[in-house]
Amino acid sequence: MIRKLLAHFGQPAVTLSAEQHLRLDALKTKLSIDRKAGLGGSRIVVVDVETTGLNLASDHLIAIGAVAIHNGHIALADSFEEVLRQKTESGKANILVHGIGGSAQRAGLPPEEALLAFLEYLDGAPFFAFHVAFDETMLRKACKKFLGINFRHAWVDLAYLLPELFPDYAKKYHALDDWLAHFSIGNDARHNALADALATAQLGLIALRAARARRAPDFKSLQNMEKAQRWLNASH
Amino acid sequence: MHWPQRWATITTGTFNKTRKQLFRPVGAEHGLALLIFDWCNTLTTIHSSQLSFFARHAPFDRMEREHLLWMLERMQLAYYAKGEVIASPQQGEATRFFVIKQGLVRGARIANTPQDAVLELHEGECFPVGALLGRRAVTSEYRAEEDAFCFELPALQFRELIELSVVFKDFCTRRIAALFEQSTQAMQAQLSHASTEQQSLSSTLESIIRRAPVACCPDTTIRSALQQMRDAHLGSMIVTDAAQRPLGIFTLRDLLERVVLADLPIDQPIGNAMSSQPVTLPPGALAYEAAMVMARKGFRHVLVTEQDGTLRGIVSERDLFSLQRVGLRQLSTSLRQADSSATLISLGKDIRELTHNMMAQGVAAEQITLLISTLNDLLTSRIIELECIAAGLQHENADQPELCWLALGSEGRLEQTFYTDQDNGIIFNVPEGGTADAVRQRLLPVAKRINEALAECGFPLCGGGIMASNSKWCLSREEWQKTFAEWIDHGSPEDLLNASIFFDFRSLYGNASFAAALRGWLNKKISGTPRFLHQMAANALRNRPPLGVIRDFVVGQQQTLDIKLNGTTPFVDAARILGLACGSSATNTVQRLREIAGPLHIGTAEIEGWIEAFYFLQTMRLLHQYECSARGAAMNNHVNPEQLNDLDRRILKEAFRQSRKMQSRLTMEYRL
Repeated sequence: MIRKLLAHFGQPAVTLSAEQHLRLDALKTKLSIDRKAGLGGSRIVVVDVETTGLNLASDHLIAIGAVAIHNGHIALADSFEEVLRQKTESGKANILVHGIGGSAQRAGLPPEEALLAFLEYLDGAPFFAFHVAFDETMLRKACKKFLGINFRHAWVDLAYLLPELFPDYAKKYHALDDWLAHFSIGNDARHNALADALATAQLGLIALRAARARRAPDFKSLQNMEKAQRWLNASH
Repeated sequence: MHWPQRWATITTGTFNKTRKQLFRPVGAEHGLALLIFDWCNTLTTIHSSQLSFFARHAPFDRMEREHLLWMLERMQLAYYAKGEVIASPQQGEATRFFVIKQGLVRGARIANTPQDAVLELHEGECFPVGALLGRRAVTSEYRAEEDAFCFELPALQFRELIELSVVFKDFCTRRIAALFEQSTQAMQAQLSHASTEQQSLSSTLESIIRRAPVACCPDTTIRSALQQMRDAHLGSMIVTDAAQRPLGIFTLRDLLERVVLADLPIDQPIGNAMSSQPVTLPPGALAYEAAMVMARKGFRHVLVTEQDGTLRGIVSERDLFSLQRVGLRQLSTSLRQADSSATLISLGKDIRELTHNMMAQGVAAEQITLLISTLNDLLTSRIIELECIAAGLQHENADQPELCWLALGSEGRLEQTFYTDQDNGIIFNVPEGGTADAVRQRLLPVAKRINEALAECGFPLCGGGIMASNSKWCLSREEWQKTFAEWIDHGSPEDLLNASIFFDFRSLYGNASFAAALRGWLNKKISGTPRFLHQMAANALRNRPPLGVIRDFVVGQQQTLDIKLNGTTPFVDAARILGLACGSSATNTVQRLREIAGPLHIGTAEIEGWIEAFYFLQTMRLLHQYECSARGAAMNNHVNPEQLNDLDRRILKEAFRQSRKMQSRLTMEYRL
């Protein structure tokens, strides 16, 4: 309760061990990345998070799932999944969404540890997500609260990049499930962070291939495409 | 439900340099738990949905979990847009092993006959195994026919996996044979379940009661009871009270002991002669309980009664005997000694039961079809023998009659299934001074009786009239030669159709030398008329295996495939043509295939692939017919590919590909 209040005052009570501090220092250099890196040999991480709800202000992170794309291929072994240990489990309705039960939530990794592990996994790679504002805000809030850092990272939102690359469907599709259905990408376990990340990554492969066809040279150019679509949306 | 095993697992892989740090205990008890989880799991964060994908497809479904995980950790998932080339001969030695996760991939051979030009691969299928094993380039160009996602394993790891997993190695090196075995095992498991239910002594009595019981009241006279027993062909009569509760049973043995020998007038009521207080069992009792009661008390019958004591039925010692598997030797002895059509009819049923049982025990299609043909031969021979004796054409225990009964079509090829109608003919000898017509007139009525007796024993009459009782097919050797010569010289569509049935003739009964002489003449005639086989080949090639371009299979309006016409027939036809071309006297398809390998320089592996495919299709036919009959439906050859399991569908597709290969051989041989 006290921690929650403090968080509201922008004074996170961060309790890291000396060892965790060392790891965090080692990571800080990697949090600003080279967006000019060519798309060819680069690693892109596709992230999906599960949370206690959809409210950016009051809800918080429960689980992180991620897979990595290397050179246009998803490397199955290079994936990540962690549940953040919760003080109290989320409500029943929420549990039904992501399927992470109360005891599982209480038994996850301590949040500091899980976030450090995630940042180490990310290893400076830019990321893809679908409706990234949500995932990124949740991650940023958690990093602030548990690690005391400002998590600012290079990312591209597939929710905007896909309509830019496939303008024929731009008006029709909005949700992740629309695009998944369009490309017949199956997901046996929707709302499981890792399974969702993998399905999103399959969309990512499709997007990367379409971007290659447009001769997009680097991550920056993907971001520009995405931005163009945002402008387009805003002007409507 | 998969969460608890996975919370603490963190990815391995080269990208995570700091894994060790992650597992440093945070709190003592927590750290321990982590390490335990770590130990139990193979340190992967591979999602269970990936595993479940592989668990749905052969050969991965049989691989050990640790090998599967080993493979998954080394795999990548790639996307190919519609039309994109995945692998091509120009790329040089194959570098990756692909498993299709979703989408459709089409492999097209660039320089080959149009018949095997296209190869379609669907979800769960893998390629290019041959090229990876042979460390060579692929021979087909693989393109994504629809947007496709493929799991990819580098060639080096593919070879490591082969050394690691016996199942995977078996699959890669033996392919169809391995899949076929897997399917056969599944089929056997399914059948042996059905067969134990039906056949064993652990069936319930209500399931083996054959008919409604015949009963009378105790004041019925013995005479009238005996009349009823005679009319209904019964060996026993149950005596019940007004409420249908059994009071006693009266058997033929009671007639001897309690009536005849006791000097009891047959106008007496049956109540005075019956054995009272009969043994009864409830409908749910098991057959073996009834067998025990009979064995202990020396009874031949046990009554089955409902809970309120009313009569449900009667189970005889014979009913229990028929539950036990009929022995092959016993059956063949009975067939040879059978002396009435009634006995032969019931033996016909025993043949079907025995062959069904054999199928359930997993006897291969090769042996089953041979077994069915052998037993049917014995049955048919005995029927012919009995009719010939009855007609005075042959004396008991005397020499063979001056005729040869020909088995044609599938019977001639020793490839009978559970459902085969009659195809037969007669070759006879014309005695000096006699005419063929005179002999024919004498034989036709006998042949008609034989055909009818066969029909009663479960071989339906031939709709096309290809039977010995048809004057067209009851001929002297000279007449047969004249008929065959006309077909060979003219080669009209009807002639070719006839040739495909008649040229598989085989002597079944009588003087076999007649058939041998006809075969010798036929082979010579065919080798002197090359045009004929050319026509046969062109005709056979009109029947293409139903492989689809968009879907797996081309099905008819009923959404079914004719597993005979589209499945086995192309093999049978091609084997016949190539067999006749090589001067082989064999009529059996597999025997023909083995005999042509040498003269036509076809590799053993190729021939065995065709044979394997042919057996698979035969097994599928037998199984389908078996299921039809178990359901009480009419037997047919129509299989709905949608209703097959994944594995069988894949093998079916592979079997059709083999038939396409065999047809391209025919095309090449006859330059069609």
